Amino acid sequence: MSAKLYLIIPEIILVVGAVLVTVLGLSRAKALRDAVPGATVGLIILAFLSVFAVTTDERLAAAGLLMPGLVVYGKSLILLVSASLVLLGVGLVDRRLERAIGSGQVAFDPIRVQRGEHHAFLLLSIAGACLLCNAPDFIWAFLAVELVSLPTYIVVASSKSSRKAQEAAVKYFFLGALSSAVLLYGIALLYGATGTVELEPMRQALAAQAASGGISTLAIVGGVLAILGLCYKISAVPMHFYAPDVYEGAATPVTAFLAFIPKAAGFLALILVLDVFGWSGHSFTRGDDLYIIERGLPQPITALLWMIAVLTMTLGNIGALLQKNVKRMLAYSSVAHSGYMMIGLIAGPAGIDGVSGINATLFYLLSYAIMNVATFGPLASLERNGEEIETFDDIAGLRQRHPWMAASLAIGAGSLIGLPPLLGFWAKLYIFMAGLEAGQWHLVLVAAINSGISVWYYLRLINDPLVAQPTARSETVTNGPSIWPRAAAIVTAGLLIVAPLMLGRLVSAANGVTRGEATTAVAAPPTETVVSDASR
Amino acid sequence: MTHLATLFPSLPSALAGDGDAHGTAHRAAEGAAAAATWIGGATAHPEYSWAGWILLLPLLSAVFCFLCGAFRVKNKLPALVTIAALGSAFGLVLTLYLKYDPTHASGPMTVHLFDWIRVVWGEKPGQSFVADWSLYIDGLTLFWMLFVTGLGTLIAIFASEYMESDVGGNYCRFFGAVGIFLFAMGSLVMGGNLALLYLGWEGVGVASYLLIGYYYGKPTAVAAAKKAFVMNRVGDLGLLVGIYLTWRHFGSIDYATIFKACSETIANGSHGGDWTKGLIPYFLMLGAFGKSAQIPLFTWLPDAMEGPTPVSALIHAATMVTAGVYLIARLYPLFLLHPHALHTVAWIGGLTAFLAATIGMMQYDMKRVFAYSTVSQLGYMFLGLGVGTTFGACYHVFTHAFFKALLFLASGAVMHGFAGQLDIRKISGLRNVPGFKIVAWTMLIGCLWLSALPFTAAFFSKDTILLVAMTDESHGNRILAWLGLLTALMTAYYTFRVWFRVCGGETAYQPGDEAHGHDDHGHDADHGHGHGHSHGHAADAHGFHPHAPRFAINGVLLLLAVGAILAGLPGLIEFLKMGPNWAAEMIAASSATIGVPNLTEGLAGGHAEHAHHATVLGMDGHTAMFLLSTVAGFGGIAIAAYYHLVRRRAAETLKQALLANPLIGWLPRALENKWYVDELYDALFRYPIVVFGGHVLAWIDRYILDGGIINGIARIPAWIGRLFQPLYNGLLQGYAITMVGGIGLILAWIVYVWMKGGI
Repeated sequence: MSAKLYLIIPEIILVVGAVLVTVLGLSRAKALRDAVPGATVGLIILAFLSVFAVTTDERLAAAGLLMPGLVVYGKSLILLVSASLVLLGVGLVDRRLERAIGSGQVAFDPIRVQRGEHHAFLLLSIAGACLLCNAPDFIWAFLAVELVSLPTYIVVASSKSSRKAQEAAVKYFFLGALSSAVLLYGIALLYGATGTVELEPMRQALAAQAASGGISTLAIVGGVLAILGLCYKISAVPMHFYAPDVYEGAATPVTAFLAFIPKAAGFLALILVLDVFGWSGHSFTRGDDLYIIERGLPQPITALLWMIAVLTMTLGNIGALLQKNVKRMLAYSSVAHSGYMMIGLIAGPAGIDGVSGINATLFYLLSYAIMNVATFGPLASLERNGEEIETFDDIAGLRQRHPWMAASLAIGAGSLIGLPPLLGFWAKLYIFMAGLEAGQWHLVLVAAINSGISVWYYLRLINDPLVAQPTARSETVTNGPSIWPRAAAIVTAGLLIVAPLMLGRLVSAANGVTRGEATTAVAAPPTETVVSDASR
Repeated sequence: MTHLATLFPSLPSALAGDGDAHGTAHRAAEGAAAAATWIGGATAHPEYSWAGWILLLPLLSAVFCFLCGAFRVKNKLPALVTIAALGSAFGLVLTLYLKYDPTHASGPMTVHLFDWIRVVWGEKPGQSFVADWSLYIDGLTLFWMLFVTGLGTLIAIFASEYMESDVGGNYCRFFGAVGIFLFAMGSLVMGGNLALLYLGWEGVGVASYLLIGYYYGKPTAVAAAKKAFVMNRVGDLGLLVGIYLTWRHFGSIDYATIFKACSETIANGSHGGDWTKGLIPYFLMLGAFGKSAQIPLFTWLPDAMEGPTPVSALIHAATMVTAGVYLIARLYPLFLLHPHALHTVAWIGGLTAFLAATIGMMQYDMKRVFAYSTVSQLGYMFLGLGVGTTFGACYHVFTHAFFKALLFLASGAVMHGFAGQLDIRKISGLRNVPGFKIVAWTMLIGCLWLSALPFTAAFFSKDTILLVAMTDESHGNRILAWLGLLTALMTAYYTFRVWFRVCGGETAYQPGDEAHGHDDHGHDADHGHGHGHSHGHAADAHGFHPHAPRFAINGVLLLLAVGAILAGLPGLIEFLKMGPNWAAEMIAASSATIGVPNLTEGLAGGHAEHAHHATVLGMDGHTAMFLLSTVAGFGGIAIAAYYHLVRRRAAETLKQALLANPLIGWLPRALENKWYVDELYDALFRYPIVVFGGHVLAWIDRYILDGGIINGIARIPAWIGRLFQPLYNGLLQGYAITMVGGIGLILAWIVYVWMKGGI
């Protein structure tokens, strides 16, 4: 028990920090209120550091986790990216109110300020995503996923004082509730089929079922429903309908947050669910020995993932083609990228040179997070007459007045296309190679065609800021109130160029997550084709 | 095997050796029993991982400089940081050199820094593409890095004063680009595989582009930057294809592996198989010709003089343009894969040397004269590589780096002082202008060295090349040697034409147009000395005060002069038979020499007496070359002295007479117009491309590809998208129903798959 407590110290820091930040935001002193974003980032960094301080091999072993490697990698990924996501929103909340208070038009009223709670909700959501990394059972995992989502509903509503944002929040909440119900139903069925909610015992129970005549229908239906429920978090078909409306309605920094944190949580949870079912069974030979891993995803689950991946990529890309609003376009692109990442999940442990599909997915998640900030950053840091910029007209000819932002946008879009040598290229390469290695060449072909389609609309993000002539709208675009969103955009755009130089490091960090994953022996010795799977 | 034997007559016995992977410099140097050993397995030296800082420091300083630009730093901080970083890098190289023993038996050292690209799809060789951040350190690497970082530091010091009128954003940009350049150059030279070499190759190209186009307000600078970039692309494509073919044939891009595999290939005589193997040297060569400005890709270098002068000195004279020489020297074993590869290199080099020298004789822009002389000297280096004396070529790179940097910086000091004036007809008598004494006399040293007078550094290096060419009777190498001697005469002439015009004669000058942004009038008061003197001679420059260089410029010029003198020491020591040649030992301990047949016997080991029993003009080769190049050098100077110091009018009269003569009048005109090569390229490539690409292809693109095919295809997804559009109706209940419907459909699909038993 104490091992589990130690491991969630980063989350405890975040939750306590959420309270702290709320109080700070209610302070009468303006300086303290202004310190809220800084304090939030500081707390995130503190949590990040504490991850390394508290995580030891003994504690990981004692916590009974399904994938112990996920704790360090997943949490550092989430925390580092969320720090930059919080920076994108500096100067967003309470801007008009603070100006009114500053000029003496309005008296300070603790009821009306929102900055503290906005950041507190962000912290809670981040804490949820972190909690997921060391979930020992499905109850924990479900609560963590809900902790990720619930604060985001509120943040969407409060981020902008427009009807659109309210509408987006309501849609997001109700559809989210629907998806949670589906997820919970799936978990309940799984419980019914295996008699446990803990992940490791459940995996062993399913493996035993698989060994003795196949996994029961109940468990498979449960798994399918759980996956479909989680599809909402990763905005995958058929649960993606909310994404364009919500992304467009929310303030841009919040959109960037939504495009990453729930998605990361969703993928982490999907990895856990799929690991419970055991990953793709394929054989390989080394020397004269034939090794067959009898733990494959059941056929229906693979079919499900396959269909979701194809539909998600295709519908995401096709939807993005038609958009005139940059945020809406990026929402569809976010859908499409979820589709690419699904390939890695289908490939599972298959992969080359130690980079399995799971690792490729995690690496893609990291790359997508960086591109996400680099692309949303310029939109978040520029404004026109105090309104956020969101159409292609707004960013036309941006290079003339905001060259750095134009460059960041273009680099981000280039990476989203997957242009070498940017980070996005390598992420896609690893995903595709894992897919090919798993024999899913149909899927990789579909993904490649989709990448081709996506060039069409991403090139607009490169062309409009860099090549097109400024329009009347873009002439009046000015810098936002804070320098931090710009800094975050520039740094992440730089990372997209520099990070491939450290590719080996980044990929091997992802490798740590699943190293030894396949060595956990199947509970009951299944069939005699298994020569050994412990030697992997 | 057979054609190798014709290439190098000593080959059969050379390859009869044991093929021991660990060749040593000693054995190669002594040429013992002709048992040439191939450079093979390199030993890993993880304890030298600090050598990575040699690359990292310039990169960090570049980042710092750009940050300074972002934070609007308005002082010389970027320069100081760059100087400190480059100086420390030089210190590290020096430390590495002191720890490295060229005669060490373990061969080259490799230092693995970290994993980079690892794509593996099988166990067999050739089924992987691995490029790690690793360093490959041998004599050649250290030799190169010593002068790259050393000169880089000196030139950064020079630039800290030279660029001072730009302090602010541009100053940061300049030093940032210098940092990027040094990083890229380090990666090019020290990288342990071809991917790092290519990274550095492109990196120096980018830095060069940024710096040539530094004065981006000036259309000529922008055009020159573009020209350099585009012409280099042609070469870089060759390099890229060469690297690809190398990987395809040897299954690796790691130097150690390539050299081993290459030696096995040649030793087994298995030239069969794929004919594309023989193309490797030619593609690599194309890359080298592009970067080092050889025929046919040389026209970008003179135009590159639009960049600030320290850049011309560092990048376009001393270091970057020698990357081509480095490439061939480093990959020398690969150049044995085809019998005529090296001969091609020799001929291209010799002809470039001659052609550039002829053009250099008729230019009036001081920097352009030196630019053409750079092209010409690079030609000598390629000639040296081609005739088999990698030592001569690399040593010439080394000596050339010093005196050419000196010459460029001296002309930069003139430009700095005379408001951008570079026309040698408009400045005269510089040696008597107050404050320009050091400039004038250090420039004289540079000119003497460039003319390769006896006992100067270039004398030893250039004559090594010419001597080897002269004593080799195959493939017209002797013709090239005579051409080289003629070029030496012309070199001495055009060099001293500049010096006598600019530094000799009566003192008279006109200021330049200050187009290069060196408007010093605004802060004349800051500079005490050099002003306020009476300019009695400056009849045509009323009101213009030359801006004399101060400590940094003068100090660097003096240091470079000392460096140029010292660079001759290894050659002198050998000449006086006082000991082995240091430079030769460094080159001998590298892939440029070890195990390469014929070289072991030549000058590589510094034991020239082994090599040349051949005679020239009935004399011993050494004596003959000594006499010939002395005559060439002094002859050129004498002609220059007559026409440009003693009787300057005679030069004009001669030119008019020549122009008036219908038989040879075309010659000076052609020389002045650079043999119309630019015009030829325009006619051959640019206009066809403009016409074909700009009109024909544009029409096809607009109306057929774009209008018909692309837009047609693009309409399909958009049309499909519209099909789904009604689903995104923005209504909550609509979404909910669609989601549930979607779940239902997907469940139906799963049931179908389940029934069918497969996707």
